[in-house]
Amino acid sequence: MRYIPSTKEQQEEMLKEIGVSSFEQLINNIPNSLKLKSKLNIPSALSEFELEENILEISQKNANFQKFKPLIGAGTYRHFIPEAQKALLQRQEFWTCYTPYQPELSQGTLQTIFEFQSYIARLTKMEVVVPSIFDGASAAAEAILMSLRLTHKNKIIVSKLIHPHYLKTIKTYLAPHNTIIVEIPFENGLTSLEHFKQSIDNDTACILIQSPNFFGGIENIKTFSEIAHQKDTLFIQIITESMSLGLLKSPGDMGADIVVGNTQSFGLELDFGGPHNAFLATRKKYIRQIPGRIAGETRDKDGKRCFVMTFRAREQDIRREKATSNICTNHNLNVVASNIYLSLMGTEGIRQYSLLNAKIAHYFEKKLLETGKFEKMCEYSYFNEFLITYKGNDINRLSKILIDNNFVPPLLVQKFYPDTSLQNTLLFAITEIFNRNELDSICNLLSQ
Amino acid sequence: MRLIFEKSIPGRVGFSLPTDLFDDMKIVELLPDDYIEKDKKDLSEVSEVDVIRHFTKLSKYNYGVDDGLYPLGSCTMKYNPRINEKLAALNNFSRAHPLAPIELVQGSLEIMFKLNELLCEITGMNQFTMAPASGAHGELTGILLMRQYFIDKGEKRTKMLIPDSAHGTNPASAAMGGFDVVEIKSNENGTVDLESLSKAMDEETVGLMLTNPNTVGLYDEGIIEIEKIIHEKGGLLYYDGANLNASLGIVRPGDAGFDVVHLNLHKTFSTPHGGGGPGSGVIGVKSDLIPYLPTPLIDFDSDKNMYIFKDVGSKSIGMIRSFWGNFSVLVKTLCWILSLGPEFLYEASKNSIINANYILAKLKEYYKPAYDRFCGHECTLTGREYKKYGIKTLQIAKRLMDYGYHPPTIYFPHFEPYADETIMIESPESEGKEILDDFINIMIKISHEAKDSPDLLKTAPHITPISQTDDALAVKQAILTYDDELQNKDKLNYSEENINF
Repeated sequence: MRYIPSTKEQQEEMLKEIGVSSFEQLINNIPNSLKLKSKLNIPSALSEFELEENILEISQKNANFQKFKPLIGAGTYRHFIPEAQKALLQRQEFWTCYTPYQPELSQGTLQTIFEFQSYIARLTKMEVVVPSIFDGASAAAEAILMSLRLTHKNKIIVSKLIHPHYLKTIKTYLAPHNTIIVEIPFENGLTSLEHFKQSIDNDTACILIQSPNFFGGIENIKTFSEIAHQKDTLFIQIITESMSLGLLKSPGDMGADIVVGNTQSFGLELDFGGPHNAFLATRKKYIRQIPGRIAGETRDKDGKRCFVMTFRAREQDIRREKATSNICTNHNLNVVASNIYLSLMGTEGIRQYSLLNAKIAHYFEKKLLETGKFEKMCEYSYFNEFLITYKGNDINRLSKILIDNNFVPPLLVQKFYPDTSLQNTLLFAITEIFNRNELDSICNLLSQ
Repeated sequence: MRLIFEKSIPGRVGFSLPTDLFDDMKIVELLPDDYIEKDKKDLSEVSEVDVIRHFTKLSKYNYGVDDGLYPLGSCTMKYNPRINEKLAALNNFSRAHPLAPIELVQGSLEIMFKLNELLCEITGMNQFTMAPASGAHGELTGILLMRQYFIDKGEKRTKMLIPDSAHGTNPASAAMGGFDVVEIKSNENGTVDLESLSKAMDEETVGLMLTNPNTVGLYDEGIIEIEKIIHEKGGLLYYDGANLNASLGIVRPGDAGFDVVHLNLHKTFSTPHGGGGPGSGVIGVKSDLIPYLPTPLIDFDSDKNMYIFKDVGSKSIGMIRSFWGNFSVLVKTLCWILSLGPEFLYEASKNSIINANYILAKLKEYYKPAYDRFCGHECTLTGREYKKYGIKTLQIAKRLMDYGYHPPTIYFPHFEPYADETIMIESPESEGKEILDDFINIMIKISHEAKDSPDLLKTAPHITPISQTDDALAVKQAILTYDDELQNKDKLNYSEENINF
């Protein structure tokens, strides 16, 4: 077997040096009754050639995603990924290594993490950035647990317009903590400010608002955060489309205490939903309560600037059951990927791409409305994702036309919000991967 | 090394733009002024060439499995096959949107469905969820579903038993699940003390989280009694799969009576660690716990002749993440299992066990083992002999770097009186005998140096890009971003040599 170098002879030699006559002697302390009596009942080993054919064949049961472009976002967005980033990610030193516990052999990873923390701090105007929690949903749950520890309160308020998977995840994480969860309904595609005002009180630990929200709408963050702060409630902003950070006001300037951002848009593939990554950014005064790993700057004994994992006294391998979180392995390689992506995009690139995303989505909405087959669902401001209502009867036909023309159809939001009047309402996400001709031809298809 | 920000030159770009920027759409007409940042956000300004050189140089300051032996105990740093990387990155997989209509993603669903079947056979469990993103995430999932199981049965159980040799994630996950942690001491054989376990287990206790072989690398031969003790009181047995690399094709946690199992696909199943993830911590359960798994599962609908998402139902703990799992990691896992088949899965475990016992046999005279008995896929030695020469285990580890090796896991596991100053060595099946011989010789050489020239160890490492780091200073100065550094520029007063190397 090409992944197992030791030959039979070498194995025998080693057994002899160990002082046993057979391998079985080494596993004597496993009760005989538990040892497998026969081989595992799984298919025989495939050669590399057979494996490749086998997996290629399965992959071809998917649509041809080389050609297909998604008109759907809903928490994960297809953006262009530069080849230079993909090429750098091939360097084994970044992906075959372990968590950087030994800084002398891990400066590549540690400096990359530090740079990523620096980029995110500048994009969000926050002070401390936990670079990696698994995804936006688990990071949102961790942010709430952090707010419960910080405030010693036990009630939280959550907008119904955070990603529905995030809301479900939050409920799962909070189940053991008897937390009161108040869900705020929406009006006109935005979280209801009135309901929020009625729900918040001095016992509220935090409020979670996603902006742009699940319907794409940009929330009035400043107003929410100001009201929250009057009640000593922490304001948590969730961002699923990080590309919006290049154009929209920074959460830190709008009063956010904790920001959770899904960074899939920064150079990560859709990958059928994972692995993606999320950061958790906050204020320095809260550093002792953050979950997960961060990198910090220090010196080696020769005075050189270098980087280490720091503020480790919060972590599970040291504090065990008193740790701020159980998280150990995170999604570090995706931090490396996003850091390379942000370096390539830089100051100008992120601005230009986020501008382009906003313009292209609004162009497409305008064109859809011009067909006469669609109408606006709500009057709100959005970034690159918007709701629109199909006036026709057969929404399935619409999906079929799109699929036949190599587009993944938009999300029918009723799938996640069955109890509302959102029948025939579609959620489109339009990014820079589309050009004008394509968008015009989609409108033509849909107006037939 | 200089930061990307220090290489930034105004006006440089590393991106390209399409020709049509939709300039007919005016942003001021699309979005209210209050929502838009007036100025660009300052990131960095470098060319594509700069980026390639910056990260290529940074990569050289890392050490990976492809550089050589990476003997971290309990981490299973094995070779990551290239073909698996290629197949997981196929456009048809990597560009599949998780909310695309299921008829467009039948291949992706088939991967998850098939992997479930194989993992069930390998572990003796009945159903896996592919959702958990890491081992600890899997632990939390497992603990929450055990909690739900007892709530459903109308039983109030508040405690979780965890051996002192367990990974820190076990107690941390139990605490996140709302349970009080009760620590079970190890006995003189390095395994769970049955008497303490018996005393601690009662009808207010959920059960036991056990790693087997444990973190000292020892099979718990008391497993049959352990299973009885836990199940007799109605409890559940949780298997931490961190060390499954000692068991493939030899023994299955499902047969040993475990009710919930997590696997670290990034350990046993060859998927890369990525410098700290992404991995995957899939959870397998016995039939009576399937109703509590996170939703959804993948099923095959024979009427429609297609794979579908199946809602787990009202007893499910819900979701533990967005979307369905760390999909690309699942593809790589499936590829590895199919490449090895039953014979070589067994050979993988067999070789990792031989490797660990070989290292133990050759080094026990120089580094006293925590327990002098045959081990599983990893052995736990100690550096305590060298305390009298003023040498700490940390320094032995750092000296290994001078000889081109990544150090083993040190100071873990730690429990008195058997396991202190520990050096836990794991050399998976992908390491051949001559690599081990070289490593063994170096370890012996270092043991002599510890006595004869301890300063060599105390000042190690000498040939790495940086020398020993000041971890306390990192906390004291709390520089966590480049802007923090800029604010402290005068105080830090770095010379060119300090930052440009």
